[in-house]
Amino acid sequence: MSKNWLLFKAYLLAGSLTFSGGMAMLPLIEQELCVKQQLIDRDTLYEYSTLAQTFPGVIALTNACFVGRKINGRSGMIAAGLGAILPAYLLMSLATVLYRFLPETGPILPALAAIRATSASFLFVAAFDLARHNLRDRQSAAIALLAFIATVFGLISAPYLIGLALVIGLLQAWHGQRQREVH
Amino acid sequence: MLINLGWTFLKIGWLGFGGGYAMLSLIVAEMQQLGLTMTQYADLTALDLLIPGPIAINSATYIGQLCGGFSGALVATIAVCVPSVVIVPFFMKREQTIRADPYLDQMLKLVKIVLVGLIFAVAFSLLLTTIWGIDQVQSWRSGHLAPLNLVVMLGALGLNLRYRINPVWLTLLAGLIGWLSYYL
Repeated sequence: MSKNWLLFKAYLLAGSLTFSGGMAMLPLIEQELCVKQQLIDRDTLYEYSTLAQTFPGVIALTNACFVGRKINGRSGMIAAGLGAILPAYLLMSLATVLYRFLPETGPILPALAAIRATSASFLFVAAFDLARHNLRDRQSAAIALLAFIATVFGLISAPYLIGLALVIGLLQAWHGQRQREVH
Repeated sequence: MLINLGWTFLKIGWLGFGGGYAMLSLIVAEMQQLGLTMTQYADLTALDLLIPGPIAINSATYIGQLCGGFSGALVATIAVCVPSVVIVPFFMKREQTIRADPYLDQMLKLVKIVLVGLIFAVAFSLLLTTIWGIDQVQSWRSGHLAPLNLVVMLGALGLNLRYRINPVWLTLLAGLIGWLSYYL
């Protein structure tokens, strides 16, 4: 079997069997590409996943592109990338069409309301997890709090906040560099 | 509409450091401009959990489909994929220079801190919508409490944090409880 087909198959499988993507796909990919087909070694795979988390964009797709390109160049990148996004795209299209045909009457309404309530819970869980890993001191907690308040009261919109964070981070790094040069 | 969708998701993709949840907080900011409601957003986050695949792809497909049908879904999904396809070849060509860059590291650190605040804000907005029935903090007077939703929300939070029960099951369970509540 060609490498492209193997890549496509591995990511297609991982994409259709795991929820919320990103790192959840990794164990399946490892099983398929490292253990069964031995196309890439584990360390490289894990390094690419860490890298994929650093860059903007869809983490699972960035990871697929890295691994695909490493194993089989440009065509490998396309095969793995398509495999990673195709299941989500097709299933979600289908789900959205069905969702629009849901009757907005009877027991469906309270059922949907309860489901919507849980979506708030899981976003809180995601935020807690992220806070545990990234808020190590008072200063960062205060910055996060400011971002929270600015967003909740609609003072600054999210894209601008992220842009602002990038600029301030750049200035901080620049300042740090200069201090090192002075000493 | 298609150009608007494509542009919006290009922006979301390039600013989406940290993947799916980061993009969810960016999507909220763009919702009104695309003519969507907070309830439709709550349904998006629920569907993200129920449908396999990366959250970012799921979200782009959903919003694209609601705004512009199948072609809308295709445009939004392709747009959100652009950063990965551009960055990977670029990075692999000049790996050494990028790795040694101290600026990138500091920028990412700060973005992640801001993201924590952003995601908490999204969760809080969803809480207001589902428990209190309002879309903005400023209109808090016009809301009223939905007790069942509050119980479901706290229950899901507790069960997930304490016992690590899979969100898919908790979402389905919540739907069942809501469904049964209709007959009480």
